[in-house]
Amino acid sequence: MSVTHDDVRKIARLAEFEVGEEALPLLAEHMSRILEYVAQINAVPASEGVKPFVPGPDAVRFRPDEVKPPPLAFGPAEFAPAFRDGFFLVPKLGQFEQEQG
Amino acid sequence: MTEVADALASARAAADRLVKAKRLNACLTPAKELRKSLLAQAAAAHPSGVLYGMPVAVKDNICTLEYVTSCGSRILEGYRSPYEATAVNKLKAAGALIAGKTNCDEFGMGSSTEHSAFGRTLHPFDKTRVPGGSSGGSAALVAAGAVPAALGSETGGSVRQPASLCGVVGIKPTYGRVSRYGLVAFGSSLDQIGVLGRSVHDAARVLSVISGRDPKDATCEDRDSLRLPNVPESLQGFVIGIPKEYFPPDLDPAVRRACDRAIRLLRELGAAVRDVALPHTQYAVPTYYIIAPAEASSNLARYDGVRYGPRFDGSEDVRALYRTTRGEGFGAEVRRRVLVGTYVLSSGYYDAYYRKAQQMRALIAQDFRNVFDRGVDLLFTPTTPTPAFKAGEKIDDPVAMYLSDIFTVTANLAGLPAISVPIGRVKGLPIGGQLVGQAFLDDEMLEAAYALERAVPAGEEA
Repeated sequence: MSVTHDDVRKIARLAEFEVGEEALPLLAEHMSRILEYVAQINAVPASEGVKPFVPGPDAVRFRPDEVKPPPLAFGPAEFAPAFRDGFFLVPKLGQFEQEQG
Repeated sequence: MTEVADALASARAAADRLVKAKRLNACLTPAKELRKSLLAQAAAAHPSGVLYGMPVAVKDNICTLEYVTSCGSRILEGYRSPYEATAVNKLKAAGALIAGKTNCDEFGMGSSTEHSAFGRTLHPFDKTRVPGGSSGGSAALVAAGAVPAALGSETGGSVRQPASLCGVVGIKPTYGRVSRYGLVAFGSSLDQIGVLGRSVHDAARVLSVISGRDPKDATCEDRDSLRLPNVPESLQGFVIGIPKEYFPPDLDPAVRRACDRAIRLLRELGAAVRDVALPHTQYAVPTYYIIAPAEASSNLARYDGVRYGPRFDGSEDVRALYRTTRGEGFGAEVRRRVLVGTYVLSSGYYDAYYRKAQQMRALIAQDFRNVFDRGVDLLFTPTTPTPAFKAGEKIDDPVAMYLSDIFTVTANLAGLPAISVPIGRVKGLPIGGQLVGQAFLDDEMLEAAYALERAVPAGEEA
């Protein structure tokens, strides 16, 4: 399992990390080693019948892992004055105060 | 002397001992603040509490009102929690004095306490070596005699491994025995607060106080506090399994000798000793290092410079603020694990890594059930494959560092109770033996640990 610099950049973006170019070679090398090491679990034949084990009270169980829309009648973009990339756009506080004043 | 005077004397003595142990870099709380707080707590403590006047240090990833909770991380530097952990609250209600915050690997991620933003903790008997981790500060303070007990936390052995390397007792209770409320989350399905103590009795007393139901934590079982067992005269009636996978041919010969001696003593105490097999053990570390980073990548998403701790600013927009804060605030090991966790959960890799690891975890837990179903009460294994290693020896090789958890991660994956008890010395350095019990039979495990502790010459070379 070889992790490329582009893979690290992509994963860092998903994880919301700033990763400098100078850090990429070592991160890619370490991630490759770790992923290669953990991949040995694939030597055990897949057994779909095995239910995930979760310790703790029976009442606490994993929910199905599925992407669901937010529980809103309208999406936030529908009622927000401005909405971009998952964020509400609002005036900066100082700017807002100046305009009000 | 009045009871309050007793508690004040205990607080002063603890403060003096903690200052004396300063060279270990095990306690993160400044000496002046620590002394002031200890005296205030002693004056307010309730004399009827079962731990009245007992100083207990607390790992830096467990929330306290008295002190900063930084998790050994720059991203939470100076953070004061507005609430305290249930375990800490119960300790105070029992009259214990919270004796400062202990150094740890950042967010509990590490096995040497070298991954702390506040510098590494030194081994109490050899400053060139590590005390283990991630609860290395707690273990070092107990081993140095600064406190009789300390709280640590476990995700993959972070109490038992440093306990073994420092020559103290370390208990990881059954998952759900102790509330996780106020324990800063790393891997929620694995995390448990544990206890390090000078003796089984000291650690068990503290565990008994912090255990029991807590409506604030849905993963805490609805059970009474753990009842302390009596010290048994013998282990007649106990069946102790020796899993062969924990004694590989390349195990350090001195560790093997220490274990062989402990097994002989268990037999002499009256226990029936039986060889058993836990066939999926070899997959435990890889399974752990998929599940724990996956959970960590989700749990640590909340540290973004907006809600907690310092903000590494100068950013143009909110996304850049997140990225700069997280990029600069987290240390190398946390960054690595969050990236690995994000990777194994990402589209295209989820089935090959995370789903597969969940299946492996179930098979590992089933291995233990199979052995216990065949009449075995407890398992005995080495806690660590070697005694304390040199500082810097494994810092550049994450996989080598991960393998120091090889005998401890299984109990976390299966949610079982386990304890490390000192069983001898290897070239002057302590080494621990581990007892693993059945879920919620922590008391049975403690009973055997009491007996082993009394029988084993822990200070002697193996």
